[in-house]
Amino acid sequence: MIADEQEMAAMMAAAQKGDAGMYRALLAEVQLWLERYYRKRVAPAQLDDLVQEVMMAVHHKRATWDPTRAFYPWLAAIARYRWVDHLRKVYRSAEDELGDHDAPEDSKEEAVMARMSLERLFVHLPEKQSEVIELVKIEGLSIAEASEKTGQSESLVKVNIHRGLKKLSALVEKAE
Amino acid sequence: MNRVPNSLIDTLASELEPVQPIRLWHGMALVALSAVATVILVELLDGLWHGIVQGRASGIFFIANGMFAVVGAAAALAVVRMASPSVGNRQDGARWSAGMLALLPISAGLMLGVGGLYSAISSDIYGLDCFLAGTGFGLVTPAALVLWLRRGAPVSLSAAGTLTGLAAGAIGSFAYGLACPIDTIEHLAIWHTAPVALLAVVGRYAVPPLVRW
Repeated sequence: MIADEQEMAAMMAAAQKGDAGMYRALLAEVQLWLERYYRKRVAPAQLDDLVQEVMMAVHHKRATWDPTRAFYPWLAAIARYRWVDHLRKVYRSAEDELGDHDAPEDSKEEAVMARMSLERLFVHLPEKQSEVIELVKIEGLSIAEASEKTGQSESLVKVNIHRGLKKLSALVEKAE
Repeated sequence: MNRVPNSLIDTLASELEPVQPIRLWHGMALVALSAVATVILVELLDGLWHGIVQGRASGIFFIANGMFAVVGAAAALAVVRMASPSVGNRQDGARWSAGMLALLPISAGLMLGVGGLYSAISSDIYGLDCFLAGTGFGLVTPAALVLWLRRGAPVSLSAAGTLTGLAAGAIGSFAYGLACPIDTIEHLAIWHTAPVALLAVVGRYAVPPLVRW
């Protein structure tokens, strides 16, 4: 079970003061949280790299968490930002299929987490954009394959990916 | 699931040093200082208009410059907040205040009509100077805001850029407005508002590469 908001905020506040033990505990929780957060929206083969990247971002930007504000929305904003960046850069290899990781959420703050989920970003996209982003950027299909599967022309697939990613990056903090 | 090597956690924990958490008021103090510096620069280079304290300024002078000050403060506050990211952050205040500022050119347009606006633009011999001065004095604030954003972790880069430009233009126009004795609605609505629109567009494209992380 992942620590709740209050525990995470307390650990982060201690980490900002230089408490390495608390920081170690915090990072372990952050790692678990990120793995859960990304599991349906990142190919398994790329999950480790992305989680690692976000943990380093958390480390370098730890001063940007304001102790008077909640911890998880801060972490989720960084996680979303890095994820959109990741979608821009990475094409998944075709053999890495997403597994079904629909394990039940065990956190007490499930409702709060749901508001910050990656799904919340996708619901703001037109279906044509979310569909091709999912197929090409997450499932690793080529533009031609995505075009065939969706019935969109190849140039439309490219345009929809471009527009969709642009929209996603504008929604990082807004969509909840 | 525990796939990230624990060595990463060990490394990061071993590098841990105390940090001073980012504080909203630090950012606002930085913006306030840059705004004061801008006004001082205006006084040194152009001299503030003494008519303001002698009761010679019109009502629209105070309304327009008050609007610039409010838009500048609202946009700067939004930018300062964006350095500390959070799902749920919104910049509605800055957007509404920018909408409020649009009332100036809209009012001028309704009062003068297209022909009147054209005539006001072409006959105002000081207009271009005011536009250039407002834009130039507007460059102090973005320096402070970009520094602040680079220290932070902005995740909405386009919005951060636009709002930085909006704050820059509004504070620049406000500061230069204290030196400009032309207090007609057409002059203020055109030549003092244009730097705000211009710098917002410039900020949208120029700031994101500077603050990307």
